[in-house]
Amino acid sequence: MTTIIEVRQLQKHYGGPLAVRDVSLSVNEGEFLSLLGASGSGKTTTLRMIAGLEIPTHGSVLFRGQDITNVPVAQRDMRMVFQDFALFPNLTVWENVAFGLKLRINRGRINRGEIKARVGQYLDTVQLSAHADKMPHQLSGGQRQRVSLARALVTDPPVVLFDEPLGSLDANMRKVMQLELKRLHRELRKTFIYVTHDQEEAMGLSDRVAVLQDGQLLQLGTPDDVYFRPTCAAVASFIGAANVLQGIAEVVPGKPLGVQLIGGWRLDATDSAAGVANGEAVTLMLRAEQVAIAPAAGNTAGGLRAQITERLFLGEKIRYELKVPGTELRLTAISGGDHLRLSLGDEVIVTADPRHVRVLPRAAAPRVGA
Amino acid sequence: MSAAAPARDRRHLLIWLVPPLLWFTVFMLIPYCMLFYYSLGSTEYMTFKPGFSPANLIRVFRAEPYLSVLLKSARIGALTAIGATILAYPVAFCLAFHTRSARAKFVIYLLVIVPWWAAYLVKAYAWKTILGTNGIINALLLELHVIREPLTLILYNQFSVILTLVYIFTPFSILSIYAQLERIPTSILEASANLGATTFETLTKIVIPLSLPGVLAGAIITFALATGDFIAPALVGGADAIMISNVVINLLGVAFDWPMAASIGIVVIGVGIALISVSQYVEHRAQARF
Repeated sequence: MTTIIEVRQLQKHYGGPLAVRDVSLSVNEGEFLSLLGASGSGKTTTLRMIAGLEIPTHGSVLFRGQDITNVPVAQRDMRMVFQDFALFPNLTVWENVAFGLKLRINRGRINRGEIKARVGQYLDTVQLSAHADKMPHQLSGGQRQRVSLARALVTDPPVVLFDEPLGSLDANMRKVMQLELKRLHRELRKTFIYVTHDQEEAMGLSDRVAVLQDGQLLQLGTPDDVYFRPTCAAVASFIGAANVLQGIAEVVPGKPLGVQLIGGWRLDATDSAAGVANGEAVTLMLRAEQVAIAPAAGNTAGGLRAQITERLFLGEKIRYELKVPGTELRLTAISGGDHLRLSLGDEVIVTADPRHVRVLPRAAAPRVGA
Repeated sequence: MSAAAPARDRRHLLIWLVPPLLWFTVFMLIPYCMLFYYSLGSTEYMTFKPGFSPANLIRVFRAEPYLSVLLKSARIGALTAIGATILAYPVAFCLAFHTRSARAKFVIYLLVIVPWWAAYLVKAYAWKTILGTNGIINALLLELHVIREPLTLILYNQFSVILTLVYIFTPFSILSIYAQLERIPTSILEASANLGATTFETLTKIVIPLSLPGVLAGAIITFALATGDFIAPALVGGADAIMISNVVINLLGVAFDWPMAASIGIVVIGVGIALISVSQYVEHRAQARF
């Protein structure tokens, strides 16, 4: 796969702490890459530096191997979809979509007939042909975002940038638009760089996810990677619901790695146990949906005794907060099973499959506690 | 909830409305009615004679010099409005889009407003000393040997009146245009650039069309204020730059022809109302919904 966009040691300083510090990553041609992070993580600033809307304080942006750090926005071959849609309120839907193409008439690269055909085609693609003559304020949020999408795509850019494009839509419209984006990406095979704070959206749409926090790139990997193989506790706790636990490694040759946890619980980990020394302090991740519980009555086989302190019924799943010696655990269970009958204050036995217990890389240890 | 509550609220509202209504009646409604009443009368040996004749109103359009002075005043007003708009637009644009820090914004804002803390008369007089025969400009040009005799072309004519009026009324245009530009989200300008537009294209295709209502509102204010001005023509205008308000003052204080003065007032007010109505309509049509 060829790299289309690369950023090197990108930094942005507004005064105060660095908004983006030393972010380096490369985006492959045709890839759907998400920049995921909480607000203030530097994801939007990074995207805006790629677009040329912000000048990096330090570092460079490369497009197909060429340094474009100082190339003005208008001359970069990428289009952006804004969170607030940024439609031109003085122009109709049709004129909005045609805007980028009409600019090219003056530069002799397209004629009126072509514009008409292309705008019509893309309005069709986003199912807005019936609204071509309306003004932006006459459309719903979802329709406006589709206009903004058509306006970006109609000029056939190799790279499309999205700055939380679904952020101002309601939950149902978001889901519709997510499917639409996924379909468009599959059909157009363009490079999408997508900023979002919604981890489900990032994982569901992307080929790869870059997780940012405090202006730093924590991990870049497939959705599978960042979910199941986080490189640090911050990623583990940011994505999905995870239990991040501290313990001491017990290495016995020929046996799975054992970890003695602070509360006196002991977990075995078969996955990623290489390179851990006996007696070393380690950080474990145990996903909330991979914690198993059973009613305490009569059951003592290897588990940990815990008490349910909170129970939230969320529809397809139930979320439990458990109190165990020394710490707390979070757990999610598919609703409809026996768990439904557990309630607040019940005693339960907690177990974890050693294959699901993940030892986090060592460098991450000081960050835990967040 | 008792049924008496809304009635009491209404009474409270009425109490709040009394002072402004009283103000409006005493200082605006009654004077306008009096103005209209005077315009229908006539004068005999410099004293007012009540009557109901539109003769004076007709004379505004028929007898010289009223109509030509009125047209000249309107032209000076229009040129002032154009000049003020041209000067104001870049300032308002900078203030709206290129001033990121709140402090810098405040400073520019202050610089625009501060001249209004000085009396108008003083400012108009200042222009007299700048443009006059012994003024700063002539002194400088003489010192630099650009000219041998003081220029007289720059004072006591329509040019000096327009210059002074533009200087005085530009802040109105700045504030009015700025208020409109401020409504345009920065992301719209970014989107335009992102789609490949140059700064000039963004300006002509997006920013200027969106700012038209503000430009129009500012131009109408400056036009109205400049057209009715009497200080600038009196101080820096010569015989050529007599404006309609100066004529009215002469009719009132020198000729004691109050009906004629009132008739001019009625015509000017009528033109003003018509202009504002048209501009309101155009502004409403041009106002984009964000």
